[in-house]
Amino acid sequence: MMNDRQGRTHKSLARRTADSVGNHIVEVLENEDLAAEKGFLQGIDPRSKLLAVLIFSVTASLVRSPWVLAAMSILALVLASFSAVSPASFARKVWGSAGLFATLIALPAATQFITAGSVLFRLGPVAITRPGALGAITLILRVVASAGFALLIVWTMRWIDLLSALSRMKVPDIIVATLAMAQKQIVSLMRTVEQIHLARESRTLKESTTAENRRWVIERIAFVFQKSVKTADDVYDAMLARGYSGSMRVIHRTPATVRDWSYVVFSAGIAALLIAIDRMVMR
Amino acid sequence: MHIPDGYLGPQTYMILDVAMIPIWAVAVSKVKKTLKARQIPLMALAAGFAFIIMMFNIPVIGGSTGHAVGATLIAILLGPWAATISVSIALAIQALLFGDGGITALGANCFNMAVVMPFVGYYLYRLLAGNSENLRRKITASGIASYVAIVAAATVAGVEFGIQPLIAHTASGAPLYAPYPLKVAVLAMFSEHALFFGWVEAIVTMGVVAALAKQESALLDMKPARRSLRWAWAGFSVLVLLTPLGVLAQGTAWGEWSVGQLASRLKLSVPTGLSKLSGLWAAAVPGYAPAFIKNPFVGYLFSAVIGAALCVGVVWGVGKLVASRKTDDER
Repeated sequence: MMNDRQGRTHKSLARRTADSVGNHIVEVLENEDLAAEKGFLQGIDPRSKLLAVLIFSVTASLVRSPWVLAAMSILALVLASFSAVSPASFARKVWGSAGLFATLIALPAATQFITAGSVLFRLGPVAITRPGALGAITLILRVVASAGFALLIVWTMRWIDLLSALSRMKVPDIIVATLAMAQKQIVSLMRTVEQIHLARESRTLKESTTAENRRWVIERIAFVFQKSVKTADDVYDAMLARGYSGSMRVIHRTPATVRDWSYVVFSAGIAALLIAIDRMVMR
Repeated sequence: MHIPDGYLGPQTYMILDVAMIPIWAVAVSKVKKTLKARQIPLMALAAGFAFIIMMFNIPVIGGSTGHAVGATLIAILLGPWAATISVSIALAIQALLFGDGGITALGANCFNMAVVMPFVGYYLYRLLAGNSENLRRKITASGIASYVAIVAAATVAGVEFGIQPLIAHTASGAPLYAPYPLKVAVLAMFSEHALFFGWVEAIVTMGVVAALAKQESALLDMKPARRSLRWAWAGFSVLVLLTPLGVLAQGTAWGEWSVGQLASRLKLSVPTGLSKLSGLWAAAVPGYAPAFIKNPFVGYLFSAVIGAALCVGVVWGVGKLVASRKTDDER
């Protein structure tokens, strides 16, 4: 914490960055813990789960009725609740983050300045039009439904299982291996960045100027790049020491069962039903 | 610039998702050839760096902070194809590990930030820095290139948002995806990045290039051996030759009206000051139609050649000037 010239206490730039990076590290660890819990989606094969989420994400982009989109948001919440995700966490992340951002984006577009049409109600000189309001509600619900399904992957699939699923879905091994190493590299670099900023905070007595702070941050980015190159060399040497000969192999888990494929078929059926209802409602 | 799911319709995101598949395939093949056996840890490091650079808060002015994307910087350091892979992987990890950015919109995000940005940035850097060993010129070139690249990528994202109301709306006119029309979406994305984020990107790129040159200059030469820019010049020439297509366009670009056109659109008399200032400068070739050329297509092409030659000449001249000043300083 720092005091400015008026004596007010506030967080320094270093502290804010360290906190933000620290929160990201905690998020990664919490997501991995959540994905290891016993729940409905945690018990489904990663490949089936990924396919089902893709089906629902594409469906959310195809339907046009706000009612169907609202039903999809509730479906994502129900799936999360059966998968050890607390409804409060789900609502905070999906509605509080993605939903709020979409609302801020969509609201000005509901006015007569952006979307013409019959006036629904007036707020002083600003009129909310019917097509504008419908467009805003559709966008918000679509973003919320999509974010809900996307977060189901983050919360119910361990990173290693996701890599295994990608490999079994014929994504080239070079990409899967790079994703695996990049994730480890990111977590390691996040720790480095957090420590760099905490060290700066701990030895700072007087607040630096904007120019000094900027110079310091840019030099640290250059340092992180140097450290990354060094780490890559070390990793490559370690790979060679373990017999790396140019080809990669990703270890698979147990094969998908009837239950896993039933889940995909069930998801595809629900998606088809939702699209059919949407077509009837919007006819 | 991260586009979440829900803002782009399937007609847009599916095209960009499919378009990215051959781009990734070419990128993997190019990187395999150029970076050899060390490619996997190097690409992983670049992806990690691309992710982490977005976490640094850069102080800008008056207590405000922003963050850089770093795609041009990575392209300068490792080459544009390696930047395509590393930024794509960073975006995939952001989407799949943190739920930041969309799953269906992954192709669009990769196209904007992992293709448009590193390629515009890298080739503009090459054009401005040339083969010079002059550090000041390299730093200046990196700043200009990264600024133009992020503004170009943001403008492309603005076009992707802006076409949504045109291609998907209900019978009553309610937009189904991103609701803002082209002129608003492009203007918003362009101005936000031209006024703020472009400067953050330029400051970071210039600063890191300068710091690496000072501390460990070998890291600035990690990218694959330079190839001739003749393909870039050939593409540039084709674009110049295609300019007569502009004559086919109807009407005037939004916001570029003449005083008379503005008066008719506003249905009001034009302010006196605007009328007076509009005649302040008499263009040598008004309306891209030289008086001595009767054919409008040939006139448009002539204007394109002269305009492009002037732009290249000014950039080349400034580059030479900066290089000669540095040489004087070193003496």
